[in-house]
Amino acid sequence: MIKIEGLSHYYPVRARRGATGADRDRSKTELALRDIYLDVARGERMVILGSSGSGKSTLLRCTNLSIRPTAGKVFIDGREITSLSNKEVAQVRRQIGVISQHFNLVEGAAAFKNVLLGRLGYVGTVSSLLGRFSEEDVAIATDCLRRVGMEKYAQKRVSDLSGGQKQRVAVARAMAQHARIILADEPVSSLDPKLMKEIMNLIQEICVEEKMTLVASLHLLELAKTYATRLVGLRDGQIVCENTPEELTDKDIIDIYGETEDWVLYGKRGF
Amino acid sequence: MTPPLRIPGKLRHITTLLVVAAIYYWAIEGTDSNPVTFFRGFPHIIDYIERMFPPDLSILGGLMGPVGETLQMAIMGTTFGAIIALPLSFLAARNVMPYRPVYQATRTLFDLCRGINEIIWALIFVAMVGLGPFPGVLALTVHLVGALGRYFSEAIEAVDQELVVAVASTGANRVQTVYYGIVPQVRTLFIGYTFYYLEHCFRAATVLGLVGAGGIGFELITSVKLFKSQEVLTTLIVMVITVILIDRLSAFVRMRFITGVEG
Repeated sequence: MIKIEGLSHYYPVRARRGATGADRDRSKTELALRDIYLDVARGERMVILGSSGSGKSTLLRCTNLSIRPTAGKVFIDGREITSLSNKEVAQVRRQIGVISQHFNLVEGAAAFKNVLLGRLGYVGTVSSLLGRFSEEDVAIATDCLRRVGMEKYAQKRVSDLSGGQKQRVAVARAMAQHARIILADEPVSSLDPKLMKEIMNLIQEICVEEKMTLVASLHLLELAKTYATRLVGLRDGQIVCENTPEELTDKDIIDIYGETEDWVLYGKRGF
Repeated sequence: MTPPLRIPGKLRHITTLLVVAAIYYWAIEGTDSNPVTFFRGFPHIIDYIERMFPPDLSILGGLMGPVGETLQMAIMGTTFGAIIALPLSFLAARNVMPYRPVYQATRTLFDLCRGINEIIWALIFVAMVGLGPFPGVLALTVHLVGALGRYFSEAIEAVDQELVVAVASTGANRVQTVYYGIVPQVRTLFIGYTFYYLEHCFRAATVLGLVGAGGIGFELITSVKLFKSQEVLTTLIVMVITVILIDRLSAFVRMRFITGVEG
């Protein structure tokens, strides 16, 4: 379903003051990902673990080419997308729903309108600018809102919704795309523990029902182990471990986070 | 490789101070801006103010027409300016326009438009199309294309890119991404800026009359030239009251649009 080969990414940064020659050129870039190889099967729920700055978000963004990687290839259903034009990439993105920590919804618009945005890839430019979506698109958006339990908030402005409700709307938007892959970048980081579980249950339910493939990044080990079928550990932009939740070892965890006594922050208790 | 030459901190501060002092000396000498000049001219200022009182209220009725004309100029200048600046501002935003020459050309156009004061533009347009409010509207429009275009494009560049990426991630094309990812984030700011500039345009339009572009400024310059000091005061009072009213109206509308509450 998703295949990543030799993926590396460097972010451009300001050259260090006083750096000269080759040192100056090196200091103009910052490594985010190095030589990543991954194969994610259809229906799999893969969770990426890693500290902040380990490259989790960059990896997810490179997967749908929100960021064009510096090197390497990304394949979706056997088709290399890294060589496609921006127009062709937009077509591929219809199959890939994105959910993120900050919800990324249009705050001033109603929940329903936000879900309709998931249909943009299927609507002509002029029609979408005029706000003319087909009856089918409206029906799909309505159904998606209903499935995430938000139908009664359809006409409510997103800015008036709670964090959990906003994330439900974001899930509905991804569903409205008829996506086959969900990329979830720390989808529950800004929610309380009860809502975390609720939203993760919802994402899991939808992925199972729709046979979607999930690639998510999470901070809490316990949560990751509950919802993932496979765990991948990133550290300093490199994969340091890959295992099933049942077989994840203490060594794997140390490889990901380093030696730490703050296990409770990662949820090791009970592991 | 030799290390770059570094000026010690203290010497750098002294050099900066000397440069600033030289600039001020040059500016004060050139404009005669010193306390002696001010105190020498002070009795004349007091004398002029005394002759302004009491204001001549008999001209109040006659000022309503020019006030209306000034307001008309401000409304049309703001409208045309905003309509032209809106699409151009997207070409001058780095996060929307990938082609650097287009971005640079549009930014240069904005700098040219707003770099020249409205009154200079009015002088040029009066020479081109003759006296009256129309050259005033043109002058305001051109200046506003530059000013609003610059503000609009900076607002576009400051949007939260995460929402833009999220909209693009749905498979939306470039135009759809801009419309649904950027426009909702800048809409209220654009409305706020435009209403702020309506107020600015009214103030500017009062001055444009001085160079023959009609409105209340034309009445003011006529009274000044005829040494009718009491009429000058009446005209100034009317101008200030109108500016305050427009300022309140503009603040009220901006508050309604931006926060949804009455100001």
